[in-house]
Amino acid sequence: MGQPSDAELEFFEREVRPVLANSCYECHSVEAKKVKAGLWLDSRAAILEGGDNGPAIVPGDPEASLLIETIRYQNVELEMPPKSKLADNQIAALEKWVEMGAPWPEEEVKVDARKKAFDLEARRAEHWCWQPPVHRATPEVQQTDWPLNPVDSFILAKLEEGGLKPAPDTDRRSWIRRVTFDLIGLPPSPEEVKDFLTDEDEGAFERVVERLLASPHYGEKWARHWMDLMRYGEGYGHEFDYSIPHAWRYRDYLIQAFNEDVPYDQFLIEHVAGDQIEKPRVDPESGINQSLVATGSWWLGESVHAPTDVRGDEVLRMDNQIDVFSKSFLGLTVSCARCHDHKFDAISTADFYALAGFLQSSRRTEALMDPHGKIAAGVAQLEQIQSEASHLLEDAGIFDLPPGSPDAIANFDGGLPAGWSTEGFAFPSAPTSSIAVALGDAENPIVPRGVVHSGLLADRLSGYLRSPTFTLTEPEIHLRVAGKGNVSARVVIDGYYMHSFHQLLFGGTILQSSALDTGGKYEWKTLGGDLRKYVGHQVYLEFEDKGEGYLAIDEVSYGRAEHSSFNLLVPDRFDASSLQPYQKKAAAIAEGLPNAVRTLALVDGTPENDYVHIRGSHRSLGDEVTRRGLSALDGEELSVPSDASGRLQLAKSLVSGGHPLTARVYVNRLWHYLFGVGIVPSVDDFGVMGQEPSHLELLDWLALDFAEKGWSTKEMIRQLVLSRTYRQSCVADPANSPSLIEQVDPSNILLHKARVRRLPAESIRDSILSVSGTLNPKVGGGSVPVYLTSFMEGRGMPQSGPLDGGGRRSLYLAIKRNFLSPFEAAFDRPIPFTSIGRRSVSNVPAQSLTLMNDPFVIQEAARWGKQLLEVSGEDRIARAFEQAFARPPLEVEVEVFREFLTTQQESYQCGPDDERLWADFCHLLINKKEFIYLK
Amino acid sequence: MHCNRFTARPITRRELLQQGAHGIGAVALASLMNDRAFGAQGGTGLQQLPHYPPKAKNVIFLYMDGGPSHIDTFDYKPALEKYNGRNASEVMGKLEPTQFDNVGTIMGSPWDFKQHGESGHWVSSLFPHVAKHADKLAVIKSCTSLFSEHTAANYFLHTGSGLQGRPSMGAWVGYGLGSSNQNLPGFVVLNGGLIPPGGLDNFNSSFLPATYQGSIFKAGKEPLANIVPMEEKSVLQRNKLDALRSLDDLAAGHFNRDRAIEAAVANYETAFRMQTAVPDLMDLRGESEATRRLYGLEDPYDKTQIFGRQCLVARRLVERGVRFVELTCPDVGGDRWDQHSELREGHENNCKAVDQPIAGLLTDLQARGLLEDTLVVWAGEFGRTPFAQGANGRDHNPFGFTVWMAGGGVKGGVSYGETDEFGYKAVQDRVEMHDLHATILYLLGLEHEKSTFRFGGRDMRLTDVHGRVIKEILA
Repeated sequence: MGQPSDAELEFFEREVRPVLANSCYECHSVEAKKVKAGLWLDSRAAILEGGDNGPAIVPGDPEASLLIETIRYQNVELEMPPKSKLADNQIAALEKWVEMGAPWPEEEVKVDARKKAFDLEARRAEHWCWQPPVHRATPEVQQTDWPLNPVDSFILAKLEEGGLKPAPDTDRRSWIRRVTFDLIGLPPSPEEVKDFLTDEDEGAFERVVERLLASPHYGEKWARHWMDLMRYGEGYGHEFDYSIPHAWRYRDYLIQAFNEDVPYDQFLIEHVAGDQIEKPRVDPESGINQSLVATGSWWLGESVHAPTDVRGDEVLRMDNQIDVFSKSFLGLTVSCARCHDHKFDAISTADFYALAGFLQSSRRTEALMDPHGKIAAGVAQLEQIQSEASHLLEDAGIFDLPPGSPDAIANFDGGLPAGWSTEGFAFPSAPTSSIAVALGDAENPIVPRGVVHSGLLADRLSGYLRSPTFTLTEPEIHLRVAGKGNVSARVVIDGYYMHSFHQLLFGGTILQSSALDTGGKYEWKTLGGDLRKYVGHQVYLEFEDKGEGYLAIDEVSYGRAEHSSFNLLVPDRFDASSLQPYQKKAAAIAEGLPNAVRTLALVDGTPENDYVHIRGSHRSLGDEVTRRGLSALDGEELSVPSDASGRLQLAKSLVSGGHPLTARVYVNRLWHYLFGVGIVPSVDDFGVMGQEPSHLELLDWLALDFAEKGWSTKEMIRQLVLSRTYRQSCVADPANSPSLIEQVDPSNILLHKARVRRLPAESIRDSILSVSGTLNPKVGGGSVPVYLTSFMEGRGMPQSGPLDGGGRRSLYLAIKRNFLSPFEAAFDRPIPFTSIGRRSVSNVPAQSLTLMNDPFVIQEAARWGKQLLEVSGEDRIARAFEQAFARPPLEVEVEVFREFLTTQQESYQCGPDDERLWADFCHLLINKKEFIYLK
Repeated sequence: MHCNRFTARPITRRELLQQGAHGIGAVALASLMNDRAFGAQGGTGLQQLPHYPPKAKNVIFLYMDGGPSHIDTFDYKPALEKYNGRNASEVMGKLEPTQFDNVGTIMGSPWDFKQHGESGHWVSSLFPHVAKHADKLAVIKSCTSLFSEHTAANYFLHTGSGLQGRPSMGAWVGYGLGSSNQNLPGFVVLNGGLIPPGGLDNFNSSFLPATYQGSIFKAGKEPLANIVPMEEKSVLQRNKLDALRSLDDLAAGHFNRDRAIEAAVANYETAFRMQTAVPDLMDLRGESEATRRLYGLEDPYDKTQIFGRQCLVARRLVERGVRFVELTCPDVGGDRWDQHSELREGHENNCKAVDQPIAGLLTDLQARGLLEDTLVVWAGEFGRTPFAQGANGRDHNPFGFTVWMAGGGVKGGVSYGETDEFGYKAVQDRVEMHDLHATILYLLGLEHEKSTFRFGGRDMRLTDVHGRVIKEILA
């Protein structure tokens, strides 16, 4: 604008500036304690430049000015001032001022130092975790006879630097108990302990470790750790805690992957892009596509039904997915950059949305697997028969009329339109290109051309047909379909999938079975109802044949024009019975086919980038961000194909040589699980807010060694548990004076002795089952419902399970988010809401109450006691000690027990072999601290 | 071998700390049992807490599960009668999406409103007993939430986040202030029969130490999980615990006298005393006839009796120094306060169940001099719409609703904030959940911005990155 007039300036000073000063400057000026939304309203230039949402005003145009929209309270997302609306005359003044062109006097403009840009490069340069690991030579040490392997040299070098001696080796009993719990999560049996003690040959330690690594229980122990990272749950939580389908398959995937020692680089790629791998890993025995099952991990979080803001719901879900992904694999808190550039780390908001794009380009599915290709083999035979049968129609001169309306979302006259895809076995990869026979429907065997028909081969195949993602522009979608049996058609709106559980707010967006049953005739069916609410949203269509009946789709359209393409001209001379031999043959083959095996998976959808959400609001979009990795990890170099999500490329970039984080984060986790504290104690956060590594050189050495030796978890674990460091006693070398320890290593960060550790919740329960003889060693399979106490109430209450969980190990107890096992919770099994690499270890009276009074503990103590009665009276105490603590009792301990048994016997007025007596004795052992602690 | 450690006599915290004879110092014990800790992690050591002189020591949170209608209780809107039966969007303008998307016409309140006390608070005829305490109430009429769904809104009210996984208010308070009673948990949830949507995670400690999670108490033989000894006679358990103590002492050397183990040993003493303290707490036989009547324990409506018992136990809990007591509602049959239909019947039953007990609680707390130290908070997760859902219900309304506080540090008789003329949206002095949380913490002497716990690379707070203490309602 030109020079403002005096009158204009006077108006500004009288009517406008006071309003800004009184109502806005607390948050939007140089004086503000904390500037909100990056917006300063204390100079004309700053107002024109605007904040996170762009320019605050358009001079001369109040209707186009964000500031005006905001103060009018017209946008529920943006209402300012936030606490109370301005008075009408104040709003009018600001409108008038903008209308005038926003006159403002010439004055000195103070620039706020806080406007400083986020400097990603500087942050990257300043923090250790962004620099790739460096090859480190094994350090020289003085006490050369101590190290057993390079790990020890790194540990010893630091101890010697501080003038400390390492602790002496622990006794063999303590070591075998320690390593057995660490590797398989169960106590060693008395026989295993005895074998080890009597094994005087060289390699005795190695033999124990090899036995444990080869145990099927090894995979169970390590799977549970990974379940913590993937916030593994089997219920969606929220209001009704609906079951997550097939979740347990992912748990079994983990057990098997650890048992087979799948290299970690492969394991990571399977998690991120198992659906995209050129040659997926198929289990030879079960025929299950393991790589695909791994992608189910993305879908194990909480899910909301009936959100009033469906896109907002998707955004929160993706936020959680990115949080889990980045913490677990990268040790980074990328999610902190959803609303603004990361406060501490070299992670920008654009980085977050670059990753979000990968998810935006992907979809959730219950994928269909065909173990050993049995279905595919049958399908090949059926295709042959179907093709032969279809020739009969041509020979009979049957044909249909030309295709129908051109304004459809999709018709299938010219093949499958771009972006449409099929999965599974029921829907053919292309629509009928000429008139054809459907072997799956004897009553309506003739199919016109231009139809995607899931019953061409049989009525018992399952499969999907899906559209590309598109923007919904009309309130209804009409489908010209023929259907029978268990089929469905649904609109997936912003990735929302909970409408298969609860249709509130999504009524009419899913049609199932009877709603699609046309008796085989082609009819219009409509997806509508609540769909009207979602005009403008991103949607795709999914048609599913669940393996019983069929669905044939002729056209998908916003309008439902009548047309005549189904006036089949069937001449009299065609004898339908001529199809019968084909139908019969096909039915016989179909009969023998197995059902597809389902698993939850992440698969590619329509490739699309995401946009920056300004201050985390999906209603306020900024720039488009190309799908790529994190800038600070050179993610810009990632090239993403135009026809795929690009997850495979992302995954591969994470395991390429010299990645600063992937291997370090993983070996650090292994260290944490074996030594109690990670080299980087904050195992899920290697960023500035995390903790510094205690032994960076060792971490680098381990990371490089790990990748060089083929990313083998077992090899790394073997190396760690066979180290001298792992063999240390929990009592320090007496040569280290208390004052020296206090000064150099008060928290035992340098590992001058072993740490006393409490067993994880699962091992406590599993130990009880093990000593009581109740443990069922079965590996894998569906979960056992948790035993519900009277305190476990609420919506979605599941069936209660047996008190002892059928003797199954704790990782097989069902994890319904709103009904978590109180026993496990008491001992710190985390709530599954995000990655938890480091559980808290609490020490609370509720744990004592659990071990004292929980009916499960009481029951198992009684079972254990009953078993002990089979041992002769003399040996009972010793036997129980060997079972529980891998050691014989001390003389004084025997005395305590004898006295206890006598006292108890008096109270019961019973004989020495009374079951109650020995139940009490066992109950006592379970409550002894040694039962739940490792030394 | 009977060292008689497991006596049934209650033990004071001082005594407990003095029992450091077992090789554990008071400070170590406090930190191991995670007594209180803001700033204790990250190496800065125990900080002086509280941050401010506290105005209240305890909180009783009357949680009105389901979303009571503010416009039928404490937020009087004559305009609703005027426009009763009219098309909502024609009269009120643009409407936000609702949970059930079944918007009916504007619906006037079926109940009469009257002004009460010197303050002149408007209270409807649904709350005749609470109305008598009008001058004690600070009524906040401009509360807002971000969620229209129960579960997300419940988590938000309880934890400051709409998703599962953050610690509950009671856990934060316990973590910040510790408990002044070692024989009872610091955060007690009195389950009246309805566990809110979102389940027990509304009361969780999440990443805070497990000791701060809400302990669910209910009426009956077993008031708290695992509190009842399974032994036929108490001597049998005592024998066990005495022998256990000897055995643990003998083994302490093996574990290098590790402090965690020493703390675990000490926990058994606390657990043992809890076995007595909890049933004592729940045993109301010592309460006078007058008190029982005051709380509605003799009311013919059994739901009033249930909630009355909870209110009475709440008083007993704060008497015993329990920091944070939350009450959930009894099941009156109409799906909590969630009257999507049959508003009249549902709200009448709910009010009948809670009105007299709440009034009794306020009276009793005051009579015993406890009210000045006890903050009483009455809140649901959201309010209800001024227009009908269907014919005779109201849908969820997170855009404006009423919460009231009374007692410790709160100015009685004030009204803060306003909704629009329909009671639809807060327009004056809007209050977010974070502001409520900041205010509750402030009254307890905690500065919400400093009450942090590092988790997943962030210094987490109950108030996230928000929160303003509502100074206007402070005494």
